[in-house]
Order: sequence, then C-alpha cells, then structure tokens
Amino acid sequence: MTIEMQRGSVIVMDRRRGKLRAGQGLLQGLKVVWDHWAGSFRTNDNFSKIHGTFTVEYPDERLPMPQAYRNMPVLLFDDESGHELCTGCYQCQRICPPQVIHITQAKDPVTGKMVPAATEFIIEYDACMSCGFCAEVCPFDSIKMDHVYELSTADRVSLTMRKTQLNRPISYYTGIAPDLWAEAQAGAMKKLQGSIKRRPDVIGLAASLTEKIKARRLELAAAGQVAGGGGQEAGVAPAAPAAKLTPEEKAAKLAAMKAAKQAGGAPAPAEAPVELSPADAKAAKLAAIKAANAAKQAGAAPAEAPVELSPADAKAAKLAAIKAANAAKQAGAVPAPVEVPSTPLDAKAARLAAIKAANAAKQAAEQSNNE
Amino acid sequence: MQDVVNQVINTSFGWGWPSWAIALIGYLIVAAILFGIAPFQMLFLTLYERRAIARMQDRIGPNRVGPEGAFQPLADGVKIFTKEDIVPAAADQWVHFIAPCVVVAPTMFMFAVLPWGPGMVPVDMNLGLLFFFAISSVSAVGLMMAGWASSNKFALVGAMRAVAQMVSYEIPAVLSLLAIVMVTGSLSIVELINYQGGLFISTRDVASVPDWGLGWFIFSPVGFLAFIAFFIAALAEGERTPFDIPEADSEIVAGYMTEYSGMKFGLFYLAQYVLNFLLCAITSIIFFGGWQGPGVGWLYAQAITPANLQGDWIFNVLAGVLGVFYFLLKTYGFFFVMVWIRGAYARLRIDQLMDFGWKFLIPLTLVNIFSAAIWVGLTKWGAADGLAFVEGWSPLMRWAVAFAVTLILNLGAYLFLARIFAQSQDERTRQDDEVLEQLTNVA
Ligand code: SF4
Ligand code: SF4
Repeated sequence: MTIEMQRGSVIVMDRRRGKLRAGQGLLQGLKVVWDHWAGSFRTNDNFSKIHGTFTVEYPDERLPMPQAYRNMPVLLFDDESGHELCTGCYQCQRICPPQVIHITQAKDPVTGKMVPAATEFIIEYDACMSCGFCAEVCPFDSIKMDHVYELSTADRVSLTMRKTQLNRPISYYTGIAPDLWAEAQAGAMKKLQGSIKRRPDVIGLAASLTEKIKARRLELAAAGQVAGGGGQEAGVAPAAPAAKLTPEEKAAKLAAMKAAKQAGGAPAPAEAPVELSPADAKAAKLAAIKAANAAKQAGAAPAEAPVELSPADAKAAKLAAIKAANAAKQAGAVPAPVEVPSTPLDAKAARLAAIKAANAAKQAAEQSNNE
Repeated sequence: MQDVVNQVINTSFGWGWPSWAIALIGYLIVAAILFGIAPFQMLFLTLYERRAIARMQDRIGPNRVGPEGAFQPLADGVKIFTKEDIVPAAADQWVHFIAPCVVVAPTMFMFAVLPWGPGMVPVDMNLGLLFFFAISSVSAVGLMMAGWASSNKFALVGAMRAVAQMVSYEIPAVLSLLAIVMVTGSLSIVELINYQGGLFISTRDVASVPDWGLGWFIFSPVGFLAFIAFFIAALAEGERTPFDIPEADSEIVAGYMTEYSGMKFGLFYLAQYVLNFLLCAITSIIFFGGWQGPGVGWLYAQAITPANLQGDWIFNVLAGVLGVFYFLLKTYGFFFVMVWIRGAYARLRIDQLMDFGWKFLIPLTLVNIFSAAIWVGLTKWGAADGLAFVEGWSPLMRWAVAFAVTLILNLGAYLFLARIFAQSQDERTRQDDEVLEQLTNVA
C-alpha cells in the first residue's frame, strides 16, 4: 500500500497483523526470509524494490560517479595550447584547511617578474581531506576534483603529488564532469588566453607535453632570428602594470561588467588594458557609466550608479567602455558596427566609443526582447 | 564394504584371504574415506552457509576465490593454519590443549554408524541410534573443559550455557526418537532406513503398497511431530541460531571459544560444522528415509549383497550413487533449513530456551510417545496382545485408523500446549513488568 503525499509517496508495509495462531508468527518470519532468498537471484537495479540483490561487485563493476563527486584535486591544462590553467595565485594554498598545497610561482628568467604560472605545485594527498575548497576558490578554474579513488600506495611519500602527477588535460575533466566544465569553460578559457599572453618562453606549458614544448621552442627560436635577437621576449605580450585599483576604478569596472552581462550574458572579457593618457579620465568614465546605464535600461530595471570622479580612473573607465562594446558585440544577434579605437587619445573618441557601445547594447537587448 | 572387498579379493581374484584380513582392509578403507569426508563437509558447509545466508540478506556472498567462491574455505583454512596459537598465561595448559580434541573426536565417531547409501554403512550396529546420541553428548565434556581451562569468565559462562542447553535438549531429542524406535522396534539405523520403503505408507505397515522408497516417517502424524521436536532439539544441540546462546557473540564474545585461536579454534569450528552435518544427516535418515528414494531399492536388489551374492557389481555402484545422491540432497536441504532459520530468527534468552525445552517440547514429545504406542497397537498388535477388535480390519484400514487417531491426538496436544505455553509466557512478561515497576517506580 502506498500513501500519496505532496512530495513523493510513502510506502506502508502490510505487516499482516491480526490474530496469530500458535506458531504462525514463526512461519511468517520464515516466509519473509524465503521471499528474500528467492528474490535475490534477480538484480535489484532500482532501489524502490524490496527484493533482489543490489551488490555492485566492486573490482569488476563500479558505480558511475556523480559529476560533482570529489575525491582528490588535480590540475588542468589546455589540450590544444598545452598551457596549464593555473596562474600560481595562491588562492588554493591559502584556503586549504590542512595546508597541503605548496606552490612556487613562476618568474620571468630575464626580468625576474612574476609570471602567471606555477613552476611547481605540490599537493600532499595523504593529508588532503577532499574538502574541495581549493577547487571552489580557484578563480581560474584550474584545480578540479578528480573522481579516482583507488590511490592506495605502499608508502606515504608516493602520495605527495607533484605538478607532473597532478596535470590532467581538460578533455579528461570534460569526460568526468561535462556539465561542470560547460559552466566554467568560457571564463576559464578567456582567462587562460590572458595568462598565455603574459607567459614568456615555455613557462606554463605542461611538462609532459614534450612535443608541444619543442615546437614552442622552435617557434621562439624562429621568431628570435627574424627579430634579430632577444628571443626570450619575442611573441610575449607586454605585462600589465601592477597597480592597485582605486574604489572608483572598481566601480567603473563593475558597471562595465554589468553592462556586458545585461547586454549579452557573456562573461566580462579580461583583457589587458593598453596605455592611456590621463587627460580624458572624466569623459571616459562618464561614457562608461552611460553605456552601462543604457545597457541596464535595455535589459532590466534602471539603476543609477553615481560614481565620484577622479582624474585617476581614466584607464579603468576606458577599459569599461571597451568591455561594454565587446560585450554588446558578443551578444551577437545584431551586427554592431562598433569600431573601438585601440589607443584613443582624447575625450571625444572615448565618448564616441561609449555611445556606440551603448547603442549596440540597446539594440541587442531589443532584439532579444523581440525574439 | 566388506562384502565388496570379499567379492573382489576372494571371488574375482581368487586369492582366498582370511576373513579378518578382509574385515581389516574394509574398515581401513572406510575409515580413510570418512576422515577425508568429514573435514570436506565442514569446508563445504561453511561456504554453503555463507552463500545461502548472503542470498537471504540480499547479498551475494563470497564468490571471489575460485569459481563461485569454491576455494574460499581453502583460503580460510590456510589463514587459520598460519595464525598464531595463543594460550592465556592463566589457562590450564593441558586441559586447554586437549579440549578441542575432545570436542572433535565424538563427531568423528558418529560417522561410524551413519549409512550413506544402501549397504554403505561403516558399522551396522544394532544399537546405532543409541551410540550416535550417546557419543554426541560427549562433546559437552569437551566444551566444559574448554570453558573451564580458559580461565576467562566469558568462556566459562559460554561453557555453562552450552552444557545446560545440550543436556536440556538431549531429552526432547531422545524422546522424539523414542517414538520412532517404538514404531520400528529397532535401534539399528540401517533397520530404521529399511523400514521407510513404500509409498507414503511404509511397506512394513501395509505390505501391499509399492516400494518407491517413499514410506518416510514424516508422512505419519507421529513421525511429523517427532520431526519437528527433533529438529528444534537438533538446532539447540548444534548451537545454531536461534539457540546459539553458548557463543552469543553480542553477549559473551565467543563463549567457550573465546580464548582459542589458530587451528584450535579451527577445530572447534570443524566440530561444530561436522556436528551440524551429522544432525542434518540423522534427521534426514530418521524422518526422511536417508538414502531411500525412487529407484534405489530396485537397483540394490540386483547388486552384490550378503543376501544376493550373484548380483552385478554395476548395480552396487548405481544404487550407491543414487542412494548417496538422495541422502546428501536431503541432508543439505536440512542444512539449508538451518541457515534459513538462522536468517529468520533472533537469538533466544537462556530462560526462554529452558522454558521452551522443558515446558513445551518435552510434554509434546511425551504425548507423541503415547501416540506412537497407539500407532503400534493399531497397526501391529492382534488378539494375542489384547487388541482383538483390530483383527478383522484390513492392513490399510488399520493404518488409516491409526493415522486419524494419532493425528487428532497430536494436533490437539500441540494446540493445547501452545496455548498454555503462550499464556505462561504472557504471565511471565506481566510479572517481569511488575518487578520492573517496583524497582523503578515507573508505571
Ligand atoms: S581538497 Fe581541501 S584539503 Fe584537499 S587540497 Fe583541496 S583544499 Fe586542501
Ligand atoms: S590552482 Fe587555481 S587557486 Fe590554486 S594557484 Fe593555481 S590558479 Fe590559483
């Protein structure tokens, strides 16, 4: 008998109570056991059944793991470029409760500056408690929880995993958790492109991919010959100036990101800003705000973002404007003829860019509303 | 065996050996076979039990070692042989050492009178049944030795329980067998089996029934009640759930085996499983005709026997194979029932065990003896014994009347005793509650 409830149903066993004759209870007990015995030759593939064997004969058969199953953390690298996603940001090392992650940040051999990559990455599996905090906190979606649980070794030392042992291609991760990767993919790949641009030489390439490294070395050597020397720096994008963001810059960035999101839903592209002149700060900022507002209005409830202006935020505002424009472009449905000047030198140009971006965003929003 | 050996050596080869040599050879062969078979039974039964109980619990059971786990018992054996043998410092070394042997030896003796097939009995004693049960009680001494010598309170409690349980349950077991012995008029196990030819009705009771080897005692009310009582008593004697009180692991660790390890523990284990096998075997022999079954009697009639020396040896083999097949089928069937009961019931308390044995089973078996007497009177006696009124009835009629009378008597006795027993148990629970109430002041 089942009783239907709002959420699912309750199964009520018929215990066949009532008056029992002498010895009848014992026979009923035997009947129950007999039913289980007879039923056990069938497999119980669905757990709502009472009878049937549901043993999974472990070494021969395994249960499929849920995608979100987590056992031990591994590091991802990109299949095509061979670059590791990790930037050596230390977030995971900081959050790890038993402190089993140890990272060495990569340095540019020429300039000695930090490079967004890790030269060594150690996780002591023996003390890792599989909490998954590292995977959760990683801003670059580089560290992910693996599904492999057969890790027994004869000694403790072989559970200290170095980077080469931790590296897994992204294709491996999509194999075990396709949905989780689909969520993270766009952002992670974008950030990876950013990191790759700032990685000199073969830093950041997965050490196991020897052909990739060789090819890259050849490429670098060729580039060095063409340029006539300085092979190390060849093909490397200029590093971003490491300046702290002021609150205003942050606000502008945020606004730009919002605009981008509302216009197209695509994550904000993280692109290295180019050199800016400090003169057009105000104008650019204003333009960015306008763009953001326009995009917002097009999509959802209008929200004013009054931001104090300071002459220092020129760069950020500009960046925001470009981002907004890009986002609108990416929204894709409407071909937005936006030309973003790569190095605008005055207020007008910035304003123009912002207005264009705003228009594009508006159009995109309308388009999507109409659809 | 001896007739076969005699046939082969003296008749086929014509060597003319003396009869004592023939007997010696025959006994040696049989003893060798039995000492091989006994541990093998234990190995097989452990696997059998584990697989069967696993199925009852919706599991699969050991199936990794060899095909379907066939070599699992061997793996267990190797493990137990290589274990360290620990003797507690406070133990009585010699008694502690000898106890497992004292427990195992009787189970080996019991094989001596166990018929495996037609003509396949090591020794056909005319007191076989008595021998069997007398010897089986000897192991109680071994258990007591083990418990006492271990100087461990759990071991001692376990041994005390084991002995108390064995002694109490010997009585209903023997009383229920007494009813059967009254019907057959013989204590020989071979005779007991021979009596069970026929079809539903034994040929000894009604000569006209065809002999299909199915005239088992279980089909008569006397035999049925005796079977139930005997099987319950056998469970208690073999220390099977729900009567595994002597080794109740949740209460007293492992009872008398607590301080044993390695192969000494293995010997207790062996004794237990061999005893279980023997109890199942004797149940199937006494109540289910042992090797009796369709075809065996006919085959054996044409084999080389003391009565028929002109027989063909091929029929010895055929009858033997078929007889052993039936016998083992029944025996393992009963072992399955033991496992089934283990899967179904919880362990009894010691007082419940005693209550059940003394207040329910013994009165019931006593009534059964009375029924057996009526049965014998109605089917066998005549005017000379003072039962003139049955003289005119046909054998079938006499059998039918005996069946009806004993059925009514046994059924009535069972229902009556069951009610009284239930009432007494309720009363006991009520009293327990009262005592609890007084002690705790909580209603
Ligand atoms: S799963 Fe938890 S314990 Fe293991 S490395 Fe990551 S943060 Fe540290
Ligand atoms: S794994 Fe992620 S969080 Fe850890 S250092 Fe690399 S990028 Fe940072």
